[in-house]
Amino acid sequence: MTAIRITGGRIHDPANDVDGEIREICIQDGKVVDEVGPDARRIDARGMVVMPGGVDIHAHIAGPAVNAARRLSPDERRDHPMDRTEVLRSGTGGLVPSTFATGYRYSLLGYTTVVEAAAPPLAARHVLAELRDTPMIDKAFLILMGNNQVLFELIRESGGGVSARLRDAIAWWLQATGGYGVKLVNPGGVELWKQSNGNVDSLDDDVAGFGVTPRQVLEAIGGAVDELGLPHPVHIHANNLGAPGNADTTLDTMRTLAGRQAHFAHLQFHSYGGKPGGGLGGSVSRAPELVDYLNDHPELTADIGQVMFGPAVTMTADAYVSALLRDLDGGKWISHDTEVETGCGIVPYRYRAGNYVHALQWGIGLELFLLARDPWQVMLSTDHPNGGSFLSYPKLIRLLMDRAFREDQMGRANQRAIRRTALPDGLDREYTLNEIAIITRAAPARRLGLRDKGHLGIGADADVTIYHDRADREDMFSTPRYVIKGGELAVEDGDLRRADDGLLLSSRAGFDPDVSRVLEPLFGARYTVAFEHYPVRDPALREPARIVEAVRK
Amino acid sequence: MAEPGSTDGPVTCVGCGLLCDDVTIERSGNGIRLQPPCGLGAEWFSARAGRSARAPAATVGGQPADIETALARATELLRAARRPMLHGFDAATVEDARAAVALADRLGALVAIDGVTGAWPGAPAVPLRGAATATLGEIRDRSQLVVVWREDPETTHPRLLDRLGFGAGSSSRLGGERTLLVVDERDTATAGRADLRLRWARERDLEALTGLHALQRRLALRGTELVVELGGLLERINAVRHATFVHGPGLTAGAGGQRRLLALHELVRALCHDRHVVTLALPGAAGTRGAQDVLSWQSGYSGNVDFGTGHPELVTATRPLAAGEGVDVSLRIEGAPADPLAGIPEISLGSLPAPAAAVSIRTAAPGVHAAGTAHRLDGVPLALQAPLPGDAPTAAALLTRLLGEFAP
Repeated sequence: MTAIRITGGRIHDPANDVDGEIREICIQDGKVVDEVGPDARRIDARGMVVMPGGVDIHAHIAGPAVNAARRLSPDERRDHPMDRTEVLRSGTGGLVPSTFATGYRYSLLGYTTVVEAAAPPLAARHVLAELRDTPMIDKAFLILMGNNQVLFELIRESGGGVSARLRDAIAWWLQATGGYGVKLVNPGGVELWKQSNGNVDSLDDDVAGFGVTPRQVLEAIGGAVDELGLPHPVHIHANNLGAPGNADTTLDTMRTLAGRQAHFAHLQFHSYGGKPGGGLGGSVSRAPELVDYLNDHPELTADIGQVMFGPAVTMTADAYVSALLRDLDGGKWISHDTEVETGCGIVPYRYRAGNYVHALQWGIGLELFLLARDPWQVMLSTDHPNGGSFLSYPKLIRLLMDRAFREDQMGRANQRAIRRTALPDGLDREYTLNEIAIITRAAPARRLGLRDKGHLGIGADADVTIYHDRADREDMFSTPRYVIKGGELAVEDGDLRRADDGLLLSSRAGFDPDVSRVLEPLFGARYTVAFEHYPVRDPALREPARIVEAVRK
Repeated sequence: MAEPGSTDGPVTCVGCGLLCDDVTIERSGNGIRLQPPCGLGAEWFSARAGRSARAPAATVGGQPADIETALARATELLRAARRPMLHGFDAATVEDARAAVALADRLGALVAIDGVTGAWPGAPAVPLRGAATATLGEIRDRSQLVVVWREDPETTHPRLLDRLGFGAGSSSRLGGERTLLVVDERDTATAGRADLRLRWARERDLEALTGLHALQRRLALRGTELVVELGGLLERINAVRHATFVHGPGLTAGAGGQRRLLALHELVRALCHDRHVVTLALPGAAGTRGAQDVLSWQSGYSGNVDFGTGHPELVTATRPLAAGEGVDVSLRIEGAPADPLAGIPEISLGSLPAPAAAVSIRTAAPGVHAAGTAHRLDGVPLALQAPLPGDAPTAAALLTRLLGEFAP
């Protein structure tokens, strides 16, 4: 493999307390090393900024929902063709790119690791096959467990707490699917949606027919993931997404998990004040309260789910919310119910600067970023493509780093909404390059438990992005000068130089194999697939992989 | 499993899009039987079992040939082609489809999954408005009313109704309080199992669907003789919390198919405001859904995609494709037995003979001689097993070999 010496660049490696120092980075055999020989390729990075490769902790890039979104909007991609080349496959871009285009475009943006944040376990084969066709990046997926009827049974059996059986079942499911972590989406609410278009209002509502509450699901599964010591804590899309007054639910969820490690997805969508059950037009920001809570609870982290003005595709396992958007928008809508496990809704959408609700959402996202005391707790995401495409990350970075630009953009947004946020109240913070390195690579990698990623210390994966240090941060982060993936030069001057498959990242926790005897009859009564065929064993789907072992508490 | 009298299972059957994965194969002197019994599935296995011992590995111009010779001739044909078309996919695995789209991309070929036969005009309805769908288990355990619209799954997907919880020993968690309603004027096997039937001519389906939608919106129906039937059907739907419409080529094939399917999805969308209503589409073949999914994720488009310009372009089919598209070589992948397209040399990669093809290479039959993955009609991906021994390569392996011949 290639040996590379990067010289003269300003290094931003916050995980190793390196903040803009000019140092050399040496690469050999896919890793950052102490020294390389004289024949190593030399990259002159003078005047450039060197960071670890980007890590996206929450995006939607593969699986049946993403693919349904592709089918739903061929018109949206018609203007974004990507030609095949001698080394690259063809594809289409847009908000929901084809798989090859997804990998290429993340790589061109300097990202080297991406997490698909919502995979139905039943569809693991599909997710894995798509990820195999998503080149250039290492990738992991989180499996949806917050509305799993089999787990509901186990939680009810245990009286709502963590049990050995539940722990074993979760570990079994990760092993069966190749998943990396556990995602809860609107716990209990999606089951009620599938029953009769219902939802839960509070964490103590009964999930009809199962004798459990959302709070019990959070405590039991969150607790089990914590006890298993999975590399990534439970990843939560809280109840009541998008609803006025949902900040109460979010705070209640945070308190429910107090003392346990947990990650909150797209916190922006869960930070609203207003009258529960009222119209969205009555929503206000309660971001400051949530940030205060985060500031006092280092065991909790969040990605923001920033909305960006322009087109988006809402795509969620929270199908109840999707139906609301269907009625709001009146346009295309897909709903798909997956037996035992989850739902799914898709609605193409557009966030408009002049719209009160959209501007409020935009402002709340920025508030969360700018008010957070510790950037290690708030990670950059647009919940791609829900708040906007991952291709808008450079613009979001500029909004955080460039106060004048932010104020200009604020001036174009609905002023009534902006006034209801803290943005006009002297919130003049500008993120530094080191803080950007934290929220886009170091913190997500650490939160994912990926010890070899998100930093440039000796032994780290040689995933490195080198940017021209330009005053226009959007321009700077849009087109890295070099991207090195796994020790090989992947991007140079905006061109992809090679096609690399990337690794599947999976986690593994030990479990009592006898759990199969418990699960098999529960499967037989609920699924329409045979228990013995459920686990994915095909090496062509599961390899090449890196397995990250859980560390049992 | 290889020996007469032996059994093997459970395995996944590729006999139709249901992909039943609870099947035990019983091999006897008289052929193959399946448990649970299924004539279509037994026919699928029987047609392929033991064929490897009898059939040539390949033919070129109808004469037996070895695989290398056949691949060389296939390469010549593709190299000389200006507009090759890849199609078939009736029994293709996901692995086959992935390799096929990769080859199409390299060749700049046309990929036609819907376009040659089947429900071609109906496909564009989903991109216009979307759809509400569910997996089999959701329908089985929640739908109190299942409306089968002009399909005969008892013939085309023989275990569908049982798997949806109808019939003796129902596995539905709802118990017996469920209704099977069939819209069809034909006396089909499925109609014979219906609790209720509605009969009108196929030509009136659009009128019926839009009329039902109008009734749902409390609009007065004028100019239709179906008022009573539609009123009764809406009453049935309004009486349940969860309902399903099962549809397929009976609704979507032929002129006007897109409008009819669009009308169904609009109706379901409107009904969804007060209750949970979903649709279930019956594909023409077991491999169709998986091939569509692969084409979608690799190109961004489903249906029929042209890679001729160097990038994928959606081909909107308003008629069967091949005739008017200037196709000069056909590459049929795991297609059902069919005559080659008129006047176009065919390369066939399939588990059944294609004696009229210019080049035919025998493949390991998916789910019989070859393992892999297939997507069930509701999108659920399933593992295929290889219960019978075989010596032939998979279509995916052959396509990958061909791809190697066209390396840049």
